[in-house]
Amino acid sequence: MIYRAIIIFAFASLLSCSVNKKPEQKYLRWVGDIEHDSSVDGNDFKLCNTENDVRQYFNMYKGLQIEGEKKMILKHFIENYQPVKTKESGWIRVRFIVNCKGETGRFRMIESDENYQERTFDSKISKQIFQLTKSLQGWKPQKDDGKSVDYYQYLVFKISNGNIEKIMP
Amino acid sequence: MKLILPLSIILSLHLSTALFGQPNCNWFKYQGDMKKYEACLASEKCAGHYQFSKEYQLALDNAIDIDSSFAYAYRAKSTAYLKSGDFISWKRLMDTAVKYNASDNLDYRGWCRFQFFRDYQGAIDDILLLKKLTNNRIGYSINSDYHLDIALSLCYKSIGQPEKAIEIFLEKMSDSTYSPGLFDFIHLGVLYLEIGDYKKAIEYLNIQESTNDLAENRFYKAITYRHLKDKENWELNLNKSKAYYKSNKKMFDPYTEQIDKIYLEDILEEEKSGLQQPFGGKGK
Repeated sequence: MIYRAIIIFAFASLLSCSVNKKPEQKYLRWVGDIEHDSSVDGNDFKLCNTENDVRQYFNMYKGLQIEGEKKMILKHFIENYQPVKTKESGWIRVRFIVNCKGETGRFRMIESDENYQERTFDSKISKQIFQLTKSLQGWKPQKDDGKSVDYYQYLVFKISNGNIEKIMP
Repeated sequence: MKLILPLSIILSLHLSTALFGQPNCNWFKYQGDMKKYEACLASEKCAGHYQFSKEYQLALDNAIDIDSSFAYAYRAKSTAYLKSGDFISWKRLMDTAVKYNASDNLDYRGWCRFQFFRDYQGAIDDILLLKKLTNNRIGYSINSDYHLDIALSLCYKSIGQPEKAIEIFLEKMSDSTYSPGLFDFIHLGVLYLEIGDYKKAIEYLNIQESTNDLAENRFYKAITYRHLKDKENWELNLNKSKAYYKSNKKMFDPYTEQIDKIYLEDILEEEKSGLQQPFGGKGK
């Protein structure tokens, strides 16, 4: 009987540990931080500074920093994206890091419907968006207060019936 | 390990605090709502922390634990998600803020749907509801660049209703108490250009020129003069536009790119197409 009680207690403790994580564990250093994951990121992309020093693109107050400006991004997608016949609409965000050499890595994607509810698009849409974002060249290295920095950048795609309607920011 | 924040982040921290005022906790106390008062005091602990940081988010989580209907905490938490493009988490948090206090939060949700996600219909719905709740006293966008009536107008333009957009614009301009925003007359001029009323387009782009002369108003003026077959003014304004663009006298927002913003490539393309176009002397 005592033995059984100990097992139940141990099981309950285990369960409560997994459910009641310390609140601190919910967050990384900053909202949206992307940790290296060797299963998807490979090992080629390196940060120039430490993990704790990756900025957001707008921290440098220069807006989008890419050769040819946003116009070049629009052209890249207009020329290469193949619209998909579907009624699916919503948003896709691809977020990544640009390092101090202008190299990109750690790409991550989120997808939602037109009511901002998480869901996946037809993979013919999302795979294209993801790969075309990865293949974008010309991200400019940025400096902050004279120091070369790594920074997070994202592109948000407003998808309307399988077409790209808008690209932000 | 203690993090030393770089100057740019410290500046944005101050900016966000200034734009995003903490509520006066004593107000809740005087209302006799002690739970919200406690939650409000707890939320004050996010002061001095960057809005993306764990410490900032945890202080607000703590406030929500005290009073789950404390709308400000959801709104304040949402900003980091917004700025990182996480529309799913941002919208979930802002929906909760609106649920608990619609009249104080619809302005932010509506504006951000327009500015960050080009969700025109969503922004229209939010701004119209806010107008209804506040008897038309809707105020400005969080970055202060636009009155929300002008944002509403730009949303209508973007869903293909330029006449309605112009109507809203003109109604706003006729209000003697209204101070036009930084880019209002560019947008109004472009609206007239797009419906082919070149005279009005020039009229409003000239007003922009006299108040906040930028590459954009010059660019659209050049296009208008091309339609009017006035080569001299086309060239003059396009050259000005290029010079202004190169010296950074152009529309700018650190987070997003505004409606009617132009790029250097647009100016160069216009140069090419204008030179190929036969200008038949001065316009009508």
